[in-house]
Amino acid sequence: MKKNIFILGLASMLLVNCSDNDTDPVIADGAINKEILTNASVNVITATYKELYDNSVVLTTACQNLTIDDEAALTAVKNAWIATRAPWEKSEGFLYGPVDTEGIDPAIDSWPVDVNAINNILSSSQAITSALLDNDDARGFHTIEYFVWGLDGNKTASQLTTRELEYLVAAAQNLQSKTQQLYNGWLQSQGNFANNFINAGQSGSIYTSQKDALLELVEGIIIISDEVATGKIETPLNGDNGAASPQDEESRFSNNSKLDFANNIRSIQNIYMGDFGSVQGKGLTDLVASKNATMDVSIKAKISDAIAAIEAIPGTFTDAIFNNRTTVENAQQKVAELKVTLESQLQPLISNL
Amino acid sequence: MNAILKYPFLAVFIILLISCSDNDSEEVYEDLPSLEDRLFAGGQTTVFLTSSNSFSTPAPNINGSDLADHLDGDVDFESVFVTAPASINQGLGTIFNNSSCVSCHPRDGRPSFPANINARSGFFLRVSLPGQLENGAPIPVPGFGTQIQNQAIFGYQPEGKFQVTYTDIVEILSDGTQITLKKPTYSLIDTYIPFPGNALLSPRIGSPVFGLGLLEVITENDILQNQDINDTDGDGISGKANYVFDAVTGTTKIGRFGWKANTATILEQCAGAYNGDMGITSYLKPIETGFGQSNGEDGFGDDPELADHILQRVALYCKTLAVPAPRNITVSNVRRGAKIFEQLECAKCHIPKMQTGPSAIAALANQTIFPYSDLLLHDMGDGLADNRSDFLANGNEWKTRPLWGIGLTNVVNNHTDFLHDGRAKNITEAILWHGGEALNSKNKFKQLSAKDRNDLLNFINSL
Repeated sequence: MKKNIFILGLASMLLVNCSDNDTDPVIADGAINKEILTNASVNVITATYKELYDNSVVLTTACQNLTIDDEAALTAVKNAWIATRAPWEKSEGFLYGPVDTEGIDPAIDSWPVDVNAINNILSSSQAITSALLDNDDARGFHTIEYFVWGLDGNKTASQLTTRELEYLVAAAQNLQSKTQQLYNGWLQSQGNFANNFINAGQSGSIYTSQKDALLELVEGIIIISDEVATGKIETPLNGDNGAASPQDEESRFSNNSKLDFANNIRSIQNIYMGDFGSVQGKGLTDLVASKNATMDVSIKAKISDAIAAIEAIPGTFTDAIFNNRTTVENAQQKVAELKVTLESQLQPLISNL
Repeated sequence: MNAILKYPFLAVFIILLISCSDNDSEEVYEDLPSLEDRLFAGGQTTVFLTSSNSFSTPAPNINGSDLADHLDGDVDFESVFVTAPASINQGLGTIFNNSSCVSCHPRDGRPSFPANINARSGFFLRVSLPGQLENGAPIPVPGFGTQIQNQAIFGYQPEGKFQVTYTDIVEILSDGTQITLKKPTYSLIDTYIPFPGNALLSPRIGSPVFGLGLLEVITENDILQNQDINDTDGDGISGKANYVFDAVTGTTKIGRFGWKANTATILEQCAGAYNGDMGITSYLKPIETGFGQSNGEDGFGDDPELADHILQRVALYCKTLAVPAPRNITVSNVRRGAKIFEQLECAKCHIPKMQTGPSAIAALANQTIFPYSDLLLHDMGDGLADNRSDFLANGNEWKTRPLWGIGLTNVVNNHTDFLHDGRAKNITEAILWHGGEALNSKNKFKQLSAKDRNDLLNFINSL
């Protein structure tokens, strides 16, 4: 996928570490910091990846059950794709760790769709397997989306071919294996990337202090807010010299873009609040509220406003960038306001702990 | 781009607090260097980040139009290329190593050595026939060129696949600590046509891309001041500038980039990477890397595939990525490490301080910077030798790598694989791979006490 037009708060006040040893500079808040970092890495991040993996298993099964002409089964695949897409989008507020260093993001979310590669594979005589796709960009969410919805979004089960079904199952299996790798990368009993957060500031963690790990959380949510505003919304809205550029919309075959964007903001909400699913744990909110209650209220309101403004865009995003541009611009503005608040208030607060 | 979103940070001041005392009693007995004047490692392009984004932000002092181009260049740097024809990002391959800039420079940093050497990664092999072309460039291998593309779009055959085997080299430090280095030996298998037996192979892995614009505008004269080709000062360290053919100007220029300093400018480096690594042609490299090969042409006649302005803004992006500041510079063991760094004569090649000259990009001009490199070639001994010359660089010579940001490698890229093919698994191993002109420094390192060794590593990790 395309991502990352971001500027982080270069704001950060520079604090040259005055201590002579490696003790954590945030001693006073050490316990609550550990709680926040543990909860974020285990109950939010790892749990999001678990949901992603679990739903990808359902998607694979749905693809295996699909046959030509079975419209109900095609609907089940579409629903399973949307359900799997949701936790992925809810993970884009934390695109660090295995998703990046193990090359999982390009495997899961490669964009644009390599239509020629897909056609060449379909028209070849090779068996289409997950392993065949393993070294190729023609896989992941958008390749599956292309098969299930088609370029115009109107694909029917009667239009499916045997080779497409073979490809679809292979792509779903590949997606499942990559989401499993991602989940395992964070799982404490496996790759345990979560340990870097839980034990930040101690040997064995890549973060030399709890503050550094908290800043990683904060920067991750700033980056996704910036990307939604200045990339994911901006480019389709204005990418053609100020006019709409629909081919730059990421989930346009499925018309899932509005939900994608709202879920991106929910990833910010989940990290900030420390909540995911039924778990309500300690989050950055608890730290901020204890230091600056007004800021905490403001951040929570701006998160809710951004989600509401995205959901208020009528119809499909593809249609709205032509016919309801002011509602799209409003959503973009609300996300931008959230980004500015996170960057100009939250980041300095954490930097100065 | 939306101006409202881009500029608020420019108004925010960086507040510098170094007003703390260091009451370490050791200081009374030791004359430790102050590192405070090295805090702004990239001059005014310095940022103060410690996260996985430490290599990925624009220089805070770039002006509005450069910033807009930088942000567009950031998107281009991440663009994934696909099989032609396509409406967006077309032209991958036919043969290639990877499909985007960022895939070989993850988070603008270093890729790890790949677990599967033939998966898409930031690693590849350069090749050539023995000898040199008239202009000093390596002689391309017929049917393969000077780089092996081990991937191909569907329906085409890669030039070949890579294979690596290892030999152990055991180093024993004076305190008895035993460290086993793995010396890689590379070969090609499954080549699409027979590969000549006398051809030379040299491994490469991607390197960080921040701060490059600063290195590009250090004046040639400043670089040459440290040159000592015949070691006339007798310190065992020579230092030689590479002079290379530059496709941008069609002239010979001083080499600054690449593991053997075989490239003069960032623009050419980018054009070379698009062409050689991704199979994307541009106005500077308009001919497909596989031209004339049975696996090398898609027949679309769409060259150059990359718009001129995209190549230029990707180059600008690499030129204007901020340099991260060092950390913990007032901590006494870090300062002791800095002193040991001098005592071991590491700083003779990893020269801390450089000065930039004029630049078309105002933000880069006349900056005092701390890259810890002389940008010169040095004989690094037989252990590291690739035995493949590249312009003035002989088979034993490599360019001194900048050390700025090295201590952030783990947090940015979650690994510490260093050197030209990622063979060193941490900084200690990287030091132990030093030979040739650096052999004395390496031997002195081996004699250090555990405490001194850790202090040295703490200093290097503070960069």
